[in-house]
Amino acid sequence: MPTASAALAHRPMDLLNRLASPDPDIKLKALREIKNQIIGNRTKKLAFLKLGAIPTVASILAEADSQLAQGDVSIADKNSNHYNYNIIIQSAAVLGSFACGFDAGVRAVLDAGAFPYLVRLLSNPDEKVVDASARSIRMIYQSKLTPKYEFLKDKKMEFLISLLNSESENVTGLGASIITHSCETSLEQTSLCDAGVLHKLLSLLDGSLCQRDASLESLAALFRNNPEVISKFVGPESGRALGSIMGLTKDRNPRTRLLSCMCLIVIRNSSSCYLQDIGIKTKLVHLLLELLDDPGQVGDEAPFVFSSLIMEKEDLQKLAFEANALDKFSNHLQNFRLHPKRFQGILLALADICSKLESCRSRFLSLQVLNLVIDALTHDSADVRTAACICIRSVTRSIKNLCAGYFMNEVLVIPLVQLLNDPLASVQVAALGALSNILVDFTTGKSTFVQCGGVKQLIQLSKSMDSTVRLNALWALKNMVFLADDRCKEGIFMELTASLLASLICDHDPFVQEQALAFVRNLIEGSISSVEFVFTESGIILDAVRKQLENTSKAEVGIQGMYVLCNLASGNEFHKEAVMQQLLSQVDNETQSFIIKFLQSNDSRLRTAAVWAIVNLTFPSSPGAFCRLVKLRSAGIVPQIRNMVNDPCLDVKLRVRTVLGQAMTFGDGLS
Amino acid sequence: MPVRVVETSAPTQISGAHSGQISPPFCTLLSVGQAFSGTQNVSSLQKDEAWRVNVRIQGCDLEHGYLCGTMEALNVPMADTPVVTFWEGEIVDGKNYSFFTGKWEASSEDDIRHWTKFPSFSPFLCQVEVDGGKSLDLSNYPYIFMRWKEQYFVNVGTDCGLTIAGFYYVCFSCTDGSISGFYYDPNSSPFQKLELKSTNEGRSGFSFSSYELQ
Repeated sequence: MPTASAALAHRPMDLLNRLASPDPDIKLKALREIKNQIIGNRTKKLAFLKLGAIPTVASILAEADSQLAQGDVSIADKNSNHYNYNIIIQSAAVLGSFACGFDAGVRAVLDAGAFPYLVRLLSNPDEKVVDASARSIRMIYQSKLTPKYEFLKDKKMEFLISLLNSESENVTGLGASIITHSCETSLEQTSLCDAGVLHKLLSLLDGSLCQRDASLESLAALFRNNPEVISKFVGPESGRALGSIMGLTKDRNPRTRLLSCMCLIVIRNSSSCYLQDIGIKTKLVHLLLELLDDPGQVGDEAPFVFSSLIMEKEDLQKLAFEANALDKFSNHLQNFRLHPKRFQGILLALADICSKLESCRSRFLSLQVLNLVIDALTHDSADVRTAACICIRSVTRSIKNLCAGYFMNEVLVIPLVQLLNDPLASVQVAALGALSNILVDFTTGKSTFVQCGGVKQLIQLSKSMDSTVRLNALWALKNMVFLADDRCKEGIFMELTASLLASLICDHDPFVQEQALAFVRNLIEGSISSVEFVFTESGIILDAVRKQLENTSKAEVGIQGMYVLCNLASGNEFHKEAVMQQLLSQVDNETQSFIIKFLQSNDSRLRTAAVWAIVNLTFPSSPGAFCRLVKLRSAGIVPQIRNMVNDPCLDVKLRVRTVLGQAMTFGDGLS
Repeated sequence: MPVRVVETSAPTQISGAHSGQISPPFCTLLSVGQAFSGTQNVSSLQKDEAWRVNVRIQGCDLEHGYLCGTMEALNVPMADTPVVTFWEGEIVDGKNYSFFTGKWEASSEDDIRHWTKFPSFSPFLCQVEVDGGKSLDLSNYPYIFMRWKEQYFVNVGTDCGLTIAGFYYVCFSCTDGSISGFYYDPNSSPFQKLELKSTNEGRSGFSFSSYELQ
């Protein structure tokens, strides 16, 4: 009958005190009790960690190990050896358990210097000691915090191979785990392959459950983005090796099925020679959809593996659609109290399925689960909030629904605008991505967005220290002013101000420059009065545009900047002359206009934009067209255009002919 | 840097090196935001009428041969206001769509009969009669062929007395942005013609705005 004092004796502090006991029996019992309390219990792990349990256990391990190493085994010492072995085993197990799925524990174990002891214990003659340390080290290697194993350093490869060659299942499993954890570069992959690792891992596929799973994960690490290693594995023996992995997709154990799918997908994605037929694609889709139903960790991870299969691949997204993947994932969304990891995975998988095909987006919307995704925008987990934004971003690529104004409503817009204030920049960026699409709206005048303070937020974010946030805020603003009415444009511009816009055009990040210029391009298109925006505050915006056009080496910046000038040049005489000034102000005998560089660009979009500007400057109905033509000819711009009469890009060729046709209307001498 | 999976009005991935992957060519005059105006003749046995029509491109996804936008018909006798419809287009690119419609009650004979009304179609007639033009390389041809199908009325009810049951065979000129089209509806007068020109909307030249989906 447990007494009150017995229960008290199991409190963390008491247990730690008993660890310090000179009596090995008490020490051993305390270690076992700690081990039992912390297994699978994060709260307990944290409690013990705060009391300094880990360094204490680490030094117990070290002490026991050095006592064993010290001496002769006399009859009198056999008892203490028994205790030492068991203390080693239990303390190794405790350390491993602290490290298992608990990053703070991993850090503490490494900081306590226990790692080298555990590694040394792998060579111990006692099988149980070896197993205990192997299991513990394996748990440490499950964490990203653990330093990389340097395969290419002296003797490290040898040691690893010795682990893989071991009789002990736990030790071979450890060898495989180290590969999974640390093999990253193609040099490492190739070196491991050259050291004969593939053959050993292949034989592990026929081993115990633990060995098979460990092998599958490590093979994936070896194969990732390395077609040569893959063909070394698959090539020989008419694909028996591949057949082994395929066979494991039918294994009884769900984790094995998941890992074998993952391995096959890595092979598919890394090498176009294997597993490309429709049969295997369909099989993988169905296998993963089944694994989704697993209630445990396998079901949590299945959506991520599914994403890796279909991401960026339209043919697979179509297969997923035909296999009713959208319905299946949506059904899971409706489960009460989804584990955050699973929730994140499902949202990202839905995002991937809907990323390219309108049929998928339509089906998703018809399932009426968008509200569940919207709910996820306020989830406690930042990963879930981000995934919800990414899902919405995919779905709002539906141009048809954007045109119908389907997404511009309070239910969707308000929570997204709230995320613009999220403490994490990554969440802000994801929300900006979704809003950028929703703001392409032709019907409602975007008043919903304006009224909930969205414009102010966007402008605030365009001043962020983080350039990715600035870029995405500008992207959203750019889309917002596309075909916007004058009132909307005026509202945004007054809030943004000419000086902020000019500084964003001159941002040190060229991606930000590009978005800022694209914003100006859209701002000054439409009614003729909107052209005047570029002249505000003594034309600082126009000056900034010219500065970027003169200095940029990035085609996209040139394209947007040239369209700003093109749109300006479609205005009245004053506007056209302003463009002429931008083009020709630096031109003299030694310096040519920046537009010549653009006309000679390899990028046809840039050549097109540049020629359009000249089309507009020489537009026949304008009074000053002839004079401008003369100046453009003297500056070498018209001759450059004349050389482009057979440009390989049809669009450029046609615009060049327009310019030359317009020139001809002024008389033969110039064309 | 965000992952820029961009479906754009302009093919940002496409430069000269990628030509051949997508046909027909991208033409700046057929991009989002571009506006066109002109007339549609709406003739019947009783009378000859022409409605003024404005078209604006709202969406463009060249990879899937897709286009969409609005069509606004003015001075429609039965309506108090201009009538706006939303339409979706199929671009004949040999990859996503061929010259054969394969739906909307249009037989291949109907297709040929309509396409041949465009002078720019004549070089392709023979090949199209064989296989719908699937093997044609239209990437350097200065005309773009499409079908436009109105999907719904934007600002009036379906009881407005107008029909959107049919679709248009459309030919777009990349040179000057002019559009001609023929409306096909087995229950309406045949060959009602649509003729549009690229508009500058009060500007002295061409202007271009654009959006990018993330």
